[in-house]
This record gives sequence, C-alpha cells and structure tokens, in this order.
Amino acid sequence: MNIKRIAVLVSTGRHPTSGVPRHCRNDSLALTIGIDLSHSDAAKLDVLHAGNANNPALMDYLALGADQISVIPTEPDTDIVDSLAERLGDTDLILTGSRAENDQDSGLLPYLLAEKLNIPIVANVLEVRQIGDKLEVLQFFPKGKRRRVAVNLPAVIAIHPLAAVELRFAYARQLQGKIHSLSTPVDRNQATSIMQWQIQQATRKPNKLKAQENLTGHERLLSAITSENKGGTVVNDGNSVEKAQVILSYLREHQLITF
Amino acid sequence: MTTRINPNRPSKIAAAGLKRIVLTAPTNLQVPHQQKPVRTKKNLNASYLVIAHSERGTLCDHALQTIAAAAILADAETNVLALILGELTEDLANVGADQVMVMPELDFEHFQPELELANISALIESIQPLRIFIPDNHTGDGDLGRRLIAHQKTKTAVTQVVEMDVGHVATYQAGGTSIAQTALPEITLLVANTVDTHLPFTALAQRSNQAISNQLTSNSYQDLGMQTIAATEIALEEADFIVSAGNGVQNVATLESLAHTLEASIGASRVAVDDGKFSRDKQIGASGKTVSASAYLAIGISGAVQHLQGIKDCRHVIAINTDASAPMVKRADLSVIGDAEEIMSALITLIAEAKSANLKVAA
Repeated sequence: MNIKRIAVLVSTGRHPTSGVPRHCRNDSLALTIGIDLSHSDAAKLDVLHAGNANNPALMDYLALGADQISVIPTEPDTDIVDSLAERLGDTDLILTGSRAENDQDSGLLPYLLAEKLNIPIVANVLEVRQIGDKLEVLQFFPKGKRRRVAVNLPAVIAIHPLAAVELRFAYARQLQGKIHSLSTPVDRNQATSIMQWQIQQATRKPNKLKAQENLTGHERLLSAITSENKGGTVVNDGNSVEKAQVILSYLREHQLITF
Repeated sequence: MTTRINPNRPSKIAAAGLKRIVLTAPTNLQVPHQQKPVRTKKNLNASYLVIAHSERGTLCDHALQTIAAAAILADAETNVLALILGELTEDLANVGADQVMVMPELDFEHFQPELELANISALIESIQPLRIFIPDNHTGDGDLGRRLIAHQKTKTAVTQVVEMDVGHVATYQAGGTSIAQTALPEITLLVANTVDTHLPFTALAQRSNQAISNQLTSNSYQDLGMQTIAATEIALEEADFIVSAGNGVQNVATLESLAHTLEASIGASRVAVDDGKFSRDKQIGASGKTVSASAYLAIGISGAVQHLQGIKDCRHVIAINTDASAPMVKRADLSVIGDAEEIMSALITLIAEAKSANLKVAA
C-alpha cells in the first residue's frame, strides 16, 4: 500500500519570553517530516489547523514548507477531536507534534484522535520511513534507549522534539502559500468534556503533596533530633579482590549489569 | 550578666573534700525504633489504582511517589492497589500500597500497548477503582496513561499534574505561563517530584501475581526491538551507568578501562576536572551537569554538597573511597573503603572473568 494522503496537524505556539505568536516547534518538525515523506511517496499533503485562520503564527508554517493550510474554524466549546476526525477519515498517515505549546498542552490529542478513528498511535517518534505496507518508526526513550516499531497504516504518529530534522525557513514560500478557512460543519460538535478549569497566572510554585502527621510536641522534638538512617552498607574488611567482589555482587543483585 | 551555674552538675568529691567537676558524655538520646502504624487493615472494596512499569525489578522514584500520592489521598475506607507491569522484587509497604498486583508479562522492554490496554481495562472493569493514578513519564507510563484516558472516555482525566491534594489538581497551561486548577479527576497523570514520599504509616502490601488473561487476535504494532546508544556517544545527563572520578583517582587510564568494561559513561568531580584530567563537559555537580543514572560509581570522590546535588536523582550510588567518614559514604548505597587503584584493577579482572565465563556458558 502506498501512502496517498498525509495530514499534518499544526497548532500555534508563542515565544516563551515575549509571548509573540509563532509556530510550535514540535509541529514544525512533524510538518518537515510530512513534506519529505510526501515527496518520496508522491502523496498528497494536507496541513490542518483547528482554530483562528487569522493567527499570524500560521504564516510560519507556510514559510516552513506548507503550500496551503486548511483551517477548521472553532468556537470555545467545539470538540476539536471530532472536528478533526471528520476531515481525516481517508488519510493514511496523520503526523503531529508530541505536545502543543499553547492551550492545554496535555499531549492527549493524538491519542484521542487515534481512538476516535480507531487506528494505531505511536508517540515520541524520531524517525519515520515506509517499509512495504507498514511504517517503521524509531521511538525515543530516556537514558539512551531507542525502540524500533513497525505499525500498520493508517496511523497517527506524534513526533518527539529531539527528532533530527532541520527546519528550512523561506520567506518567499510564506508569500506564495495560502491559508483558507474550511466551512463550519452544520451540526457543530459540542465538546463533551466537563472539566471546569480555574486559570491563574503561574506566579507561585506548586505545593508538594505531604502526608498529614498528627504528632505530639514531644514526638515532633524527637523527630527533629533523630533522622531516619539512610546510609548504605560500608565495607571495610577484606583485600581489594574481596571488595571488588562486593561491588560486583551489588551490581548483579540490582540487575545493573547483565554478566 | 552572670551565668547561673548548675549546682547539681556532675561532680565528685576529691581527697581534700573539694568538689571537682567531672566531664560526662551527654545522656544518650536513643529513641527506640518505633513501628509505623498500618494505614488501614480492613479488606475494602473501594480502591485507588496506581499503574506503573517496573525497571529491573524495581520502581523508579517517580512511580513510588505516585503510589504515595494515592496512599495520602485515600481515606480509611479505600484500598491502594498498585498494578506493576513487569517483574517486581521490591517491597512497596513503605510507600503505602495495600495490595500489589504484578503482571510480569507486560514489561516495559516490549511494546505491546494493545495487550496492556486490554488487560488493564478488564481489571478496571472488575475492580471499579474510584480513581487511577499513573506517573507521567517517558518510560511507558505516560504513553499508557494517555491510551487509557482515550479509551475510558467517560472518566475525567488530567495529565501533567504538578500539584494535587484532596480537593484539587493543578497543571500548567499555555506553555507554563498559567496554572489551571480543577477538581480531583478520575485519572491523574502525575509529574515527578510533586509528592513527598515520607509517610507516617505503612501498608500491608499483599502481593499477588496476575497472569494476563486477555490475548490479542491481531496486532497493529510490531516491536522490532530496543536498542541502546553506546555509552561513549550518549550525553552524560542521559546516561544510565556512570563511572565517576574524583581527586582520589591517580591513574585515569585504569578508570577509562573500567568504564569501558562496564560499558559506562565517564564523569568527574570538579577537582578532577580542574586538575586537567577530564574535559569540562564531564563535570558533575552544581556547576556541571545534573545526572540521573541508575548506577553511579563514585571513585575517590569525597562528596562535596555541590557534587551530591548533581547526583541527587541517581538510583544506586556506589562509592570507593579511602575515607570512611566522607560525605559521599553517607549518600552511597554501598561504600567500599580502600585504595581506588587496587579495587578498580581487581574489579576489571573480575568483570573480565565473569564475561568470559558467560561466553563459555553461552557457547
């Protein structure tokens, strides 16, 4: 199976200091990967954004290689997942960034979309290539671990920020590209989410959750002068070979080495 | 102002009837080791479920914090059930897990999200937990949690929770510029270091191994295997095994060959870097890098606070030092007192022997 349609979902970001609207880097990586794939597979590339078509941040995506951006208009209570899912029914590959920079940035959208469309999702992807009728991706994990996964198409792929992709910005493309608004669906999808958020400026540090302790004054004073013994074992005896053996058995016991 | 002298201070009467003060050690304030009370002993139906992957038979601090969070928030009528995916050799009583259920087949090394989701959904269906807590990390749990949220559509959920208590959870929004609060949801994905794991109670941690019941007929994903980047190419912050040198290391070549045999990255303390033995990018500590390795082998490092700050996230710290009273020895999980050079050489020989013995067994 050849990939015929690729969709890239882009969101808008903001500059961390000045707050100026700009592209979201994670989504730009997904866009660049999508463009490269569409060239090699001669697939049609759709760039979709759910939100406001007049957002200046969208111009950045034109400069980064999108020929045209389709904007799905949203109201504050629109369910974006439903609106997107309607447009993505016949898409073979959906690419997006792992986390948005604006709004809720919960990292949930790719998962909700995949569940809605009933297709597989792989997150934190560094590389994508097509092998036969499957997609082979390289997944990022901390501590130098990477995993190769083959996934059936169609699929949702969320790109990790560390993907080795070079963004190419060209002002001429920004002038050539077009942003057009899609029509609002007749029956607007009301969001089913019932979360009530109370939003404040992030000026304070979050409080740590601590267990309530009902101690008497005497116990509190005692706990101030004694501490829970946290020190480990100390090996003083034996020659250097025996001491090295202690280290080796510790490493083995905690499965830190495999030999 | 004159200081009042205690007339009853310890003294003895000397030969000529003179009173002589004697120096005595202060009365020892030994506190008898007290057993912490068990949070709840009832076998309860209502439960909080915590789901986490284990790594090498243990849970990371982040997962332990998540279990502690569930134990703190649970009332006396609620059980804390920890569902551990992968092998578990650790006791979870100290972090307040009343019941521990282990599914060894669903370990992190294999990518099987559909199988995990099918089995966890079946478990949720049968026990009907009031709330679910999952660590929001990059080692499988964050991914699994989001799959679960997408799958359990009727449940309220919040990811990236940075603050929580009985009444509310909070998470950063709009790129960290605003903080949003909402009521405690049914599924919580918790960020690391939001919970203090020091608990005034313990739990029974009744353990049961659960074989996976649901098998899949078709699979959308095919795991092509995990690969690990060579220790020499990886950034120090990301390394999993670090051999680190301090002032006590005279021979850098021995240390390098030890790191090579252990397939570990090399780090250094500030003194060793200032001496020119290592490059600046190897420095670990307050003015260098902060590392989070599973194993940290500190050789000849006394352990200045600035250095200990850089290794606070390391799971197993092993120290080789000549001084048993060094601060590093207090921090380390295992300390070996002796000459660094001799012990390193002995360790290299032992590992080489172990490796060749392994090869013979394999052949």
